Amino acid sequence: MTARDRMVVIAIAVFGVLGAGWLLVISPERKHATNLQNEVNSATSQLTAAESQLANARAAQARYSSAYASIVNLGKAVPPGREVPALVYELALASNQRHVDLSSIVYGASGGGGSSAGASQAANASLAGFTQMPFTFVFNGTFVDLYNLFQQLNHFTARTASGGLQVTGRLLTVQSAKLAPVTNGTEPGSKKVGPELLSGTITATAYVLPASQGLTGGATATSPGSRGSSASSLSSTGSGASAPTAPAIARVTP
Amino acid sequence: MRAVNLIPADQRAGAAGVGGRSGGGAYAVLALVGGLALLALLYGLAQRQVSSRRAQVASLKARAEQAQATAAGLAPYTSFVALREERERAVNQLVDSRFDWAHAFHEVGRVLPTLASIASIEGSVGSSTGGSSAGSSAGSSSSAAAGAAASSKASGVASATPPGTVPTVTISGCATSQTAVALTLNRLRLIDGVSEVTLQSSTKASSRSGGGATAGRCPPSGPAFTALLAFAPLPTSAALSAASAVPAASLGGAR
Repeated sequence: MTARDRMVVIAIAVFGVLGAGWLLVISPERKHATNLQNEVNSATSQLTAAESQLANARAAQARYSSAYASIVNLGKAVPPGREVPALVYELALASNQRHVDLSSIVYGASGGGGSSAGASQAANASLAGFTQMPFTFVFNGTFVDLYNLFQQLNHFTARTASGGLQVTGRLLTVQSAKLAPVTNGTEPGSKKVGPELLSGTITATAYVLPASQGLTGGATATSPGSRGSSASSLSSTGSGASAPTAPAIARVTP
Repeated sequence: MRAVNLIPADQRAGAAGVGGRSGGGAYAVLALVGGLALLALLYGLAQRQVSSRRAQVASLKARAEQAQATAAGLAPYTSFVALREERERAVNQLVDSRFDWAHAFHEVGRVLPTLASIASIEGSVGSSTGGSSAGSSAGSSSSAAAGAAASSKASGVASATPPGTVPTVTISGCATSQTAVALTLNRLRLIDGVSEVTLQSSTKASSRSGGGATAGRCPPSGPAFTALLAFAPLPTSAALSAASAVPAASLGGAR
């Protein structure tokens, strides 16, 4: 073996040792470091998501009292129960304020159908979301008074100029309205008699929260309770799990 | 004569080559040591990266878990606020899908000429008015109502006056002449939101047989008329959601 051959062999041996060291020791360690970098990235995004979730939760906690007040206020528009006495009281009060005689209230959409027909219609009116309660009201008054009354019924729950909700009473959707003159003798209860007196027949729908939902979902003014009621329960029915322990029912009082 | 090199062979210049007397072994050792040192440096750097990243991952995971635990503790607040937003949105949707009857009646009173009087007004939303001549408007009303009912079901709250339905009002009254009836129809077109005014009948007392609701109330010389007003359809869900971004300027939040 010549000297040159020896040099070549030695060089190959040195490179071999260094290559083996790279492949067996350094490369796995660098690969491990790269994997750990991916884990760091993943953990960073996980932390960001968790912090965002926490920020939302803290914001919700800060807004809790206003949200509670708002949801109780919304209970005046759509109560958890039928609250028919409160509705009648509201209508009577509005009628008195507008000098209109509240002649009749029939539960159900058809005024002449009687209460049994109305009740069956109401039972069938339970659709997705809020439960519908159809009513037929008859008012007697002048055109202007009935106009004012219709306006007041609309303003029980109305949008404000800023886009918010103003709730002072039950949410009513008027499906049909009929104004016709009151003929003398057919309306014994009417106070006013004359050609200007009109009979206003309104078919309107009030709304009730589904039976599975409480007004506040078990929350109190100070705490949302041990378990939060899910927002998705608005469209779900029959779970029965969100019955309120201390319902804050908003009733219309004189 | 043959020249003879008297210098010993192992001491002649260039006899050991570039490897010197060790035959390149010294270079090989130097190269090996240098290479191993470089490998050790790289290994150290990688090891340091690994340990620092391990610590970083552990710290990040601990912080994330802590944040998640805190957020889970506050979950009832989040759920409650979401419930409130959902309910508010549902009520807003119902409020926006109403038809403003008071405004419609006010408009009728505003545009009605003195030559005509009204005996009765009957209006409805979401179904035909019962008149046979409601025609195409009532038909489009029911088809629109079907689509709107589907969309409102999808959104979770069903309104009694679904978006897309056409409110219609039937007006019966008396006029002093047929010309006054024409004038009345023209004036009724001025009502805010009316899309179509259709005359159903205009009959004088002499040609009335049996008569309708207004037959007995009108003077013999004046015709009794019945007109059907079709209003613009109630805003659809898409229009409502677009409008909710803009402050509601309409009175009473209706239509």
